[in-house]
Order: sequence, then structure tokens, then C-alpha cells
Amino acid sequence: MALMANTTAKSDKLAHLSACIGRVAEKRDKSAFAELFDHYTPLIRAYSLAREPGADLVADDLVQEVMTRVWLKAAKYNARLANLNTWIFTLARNCRIDYLRRNSRYATEIDPTDIFNEIEDEGPGPFQMVQQSRVQQSIRAGLEQLPKEQSEILTKVYLEGKSHQQTSDELKLPLGTVKSRVRLALKKLEVLVTR
Amino acid sequence: MDKSNNHPDDELLAAYSAGSLPLSQALCISAHLEHCQSCGQKLQQLNHVGSELMQQLKPSKVSDELKNKLLGMLDSLPQDIAQEQPREIDSRVPRCLHQFIDKSYDDLDWKRVSADIHSAELCRDSNGARVELLKIKPGGSATTHTHMGDEYTVILEGSFSDESGLYGQGDFLVRDENDQHTPVATQDRECICLAVTEGPIQFTGFLHRLLNPFIRRGYA
Ligand SMILES: [Zn+2]
Repeated sequence: MALMANTTAKSDKLAHLSACIGRVAEKRDKSAFAELFDHYTPLIRAYSLAREPGADLVADDLVQEVMTRVWLKAAKYNARLANLNTWIFTLARNCRIDYLRRNSRYATEIDPTDIFNEIEDEGPGPFQMVQQSRVQQSIRAGLEQLPKEQSEILTKVYLEGKSHQQTSDELKLPLGTVKSRVRLALKKLEVLVTR
Repeated sequence: MDKSNNHPDDELLAAYSAGSLPLSQALCISAHLEHCQSCGQKLQQLNHVGSELMQQLKPSKVSDELKNKLLGMLDSLPQDIAQEQPREIDSRVPRCLHQFIDKSYDDLDWKRVSADIHSAELCRDSNGARVELLKIKPGGSATTHTHMGDEYTVILEGSFSDESGLYGQGDFLVRDENDQHTPVATQDRECICLAVTEGPIQFTGFLHRLLNPFIRRGYA
């Protein structure tokens, strides 16, 4: 019962935020933008700190970079292709990759911009939308029930941005175990559709 | 639409979605995604996983100062960042490689590797991996080098076959140093592949380079 109420509250909130991005796109509405700012930036900041604990300036830079893109790209956001949370996640991920590349000890000329397409021009058609929201709910419910040893690894990979090798080194687990735990977790979350 | 039969592993696709993959490997995944709808759908779901994990983070308060600063900047942001300049580029070139190629594969600085193979180095990754295109003549042997780490290959044009089967456009292959396969391009046309070869970063040291010119070159 509590879980149901929680889920409803979350989807109401998301619907409201989606309306905000619409107002930003169409009317360049700054108060709508401020609402998006209030909701998402503490998460974006936490996402940055997950990778670099204590790096407050880096976290603020990421906030600024992501929210700048939200303002500039609002018109490109297409709710039929991805929900707003996922769009923001991909923006934050892309900005973090770009930041790391520019500040890496070992330089690379590879520009991530064209590698990680932003969601506006990829993704499923409208007929898959219903399925998509169902999948997302099962992912959310599944994450809560994941064994700690599996969720710990997803956290390392997704939030801390660790490679499989780094995860293996930090947790003192064989590389094969790391990979199989990722795979098991995804299977539990029903991410792995059979081909 | 799904032309491809060989896909990246799920955990590799997850690392791509998480943004924790070296950019050279991410290039290969991206090139594969242009040809593979089923991996594209998986990626959508993997992005949802990242999104949900992010929602579960303990929020970290952002200062009013930063908020006011950004709100004050909005009107002066350059609007053209969001606009992409359309480019005249050969439609065969995957989007992720546009950064290295001016108009078509022909513009690249192709170097002869063997009687059958030409290669064009595109760049190096920060982990030392070499990113290059390989062009194999029709019917030519695609066995290039005795490499030391994993090698990621995506077929961009043409096809090749080996003991285990036929590989075509979009196919994604990972081979390790123990791989004994001897791929051969099919007779009908030349084959172009994107290849990423892991190179141990310590081999770029001056002394090592001096002592191991052949290792560094990578082709034996
Ligand atoms: Zn695929």
C-alpha cells in the first residue's frame, strides 16, 4: 500500500516536472526552470560527488554544465522518447564524461559528443511507450530487491563511474565475478530481453 | 534493420550506458548501435537503470549563490550550442567517426600494412589503445598483428569470414591475444573495419620505445 502511494507520488512529481520542461521549451519560462533546478541539481551534485567525494567545485561545475544544457536543449527534449529523469541522467553522464576527458592525466583526442547521442534522436517509437514505463517501474521495484553484492556493483559502475577492472580491484573480486554480477543484476531487473 | 548478428556483451553495453567505458571502446559500441536496433532498445533500458540509481542518491544541497548565478546567466547563453551544423559527409561513415573524417574514408592517410591490408590511425585513447580503420582488399587476409591486449572490431563496410562463420556490416567482435581465428574478407568487395587495440600504457615510455620498436608498432 505504502509502495503504491509512493509510486503515485513519484509519477505525479515527474508529470509536473515534465510540464515544467515544456514551459521552458515553449515560453523560456524561468520560474519553471527554477523548479527543475531545485529538483534535479541536488541529484546531479550527488552524482558528481559519488565519483569524486569531497570535490565540491567539480560538483558545482557539473550542475552548471548540465543545467545550461537543459536550458538550451529543452526544445529538443521529447517526452515520447524518454522520461525526464532518464534524459537528465544521460545529460549528466555525458557532461561528466566530457569533464573527465578534458581533465584527464592522459589526454585523448576522442570527443565523446558524437559517441553518446542524446536521447532526443534515438529511442523507441510511441508504440513502445507503454512498455517502456512498465519496464521502468519494474526496474525501480527490482533495484530495491537486489542482493547487496549486486547493487553494490551497479553503484560502482553507474554512479562512481568505475570500469569493471577498477571495480574488481576495489572489491578484491575476480574480473569475471564483477561481470557476472552485473549480468545477474540486469537479468533480475528484466533489462535483458531475449533476442 | 537488425543487420548484425554479433553484439557487445550485456555488461559492456551497461558500462557504455554508465559512461564508465574507455572512449575508444565506446566508439565501437556507438558504431555498432547505428546498425543494431535490439542493442539500441537494451540501451534505453540500461539508461533507465542509471536514471533510477541516480534518483536514489542522497541529494546534496546546491547553494543559492549558484542558483542565482545560473538564473542570471540564462539570457546571455549562446543559443547556437544547441544547433548542429549539418555537414556534407559520406553517409557510410558512422556519426561517431565524423570527428575524424572530413568527407569520406578516402580522405584518410591510409598506410600499407601488408599486401592485403591498409590502415589509417584515427587517434589514441588515454589508456593507450590505438583506434584505427582497417581496409582489407577483396579476398584478403585480415590477420593483422600479434596484439597484446583485447581487440575490438566493428565491421563498417563489406564482410569477412573465418572458421566460425560470416561477419557483416555492424557486427561487433572482441578478440583476445590468444585468438587463433584467421579472418578473410569476402571476394565481392573490400572490407572496412573500425579496430581498437588495447595497448599497455607503459609501453609508451621513452626507454621502452627505444628497446621495443616492433612492439610499439604493433604489427609483427
Ligand atoms: Zn547489437
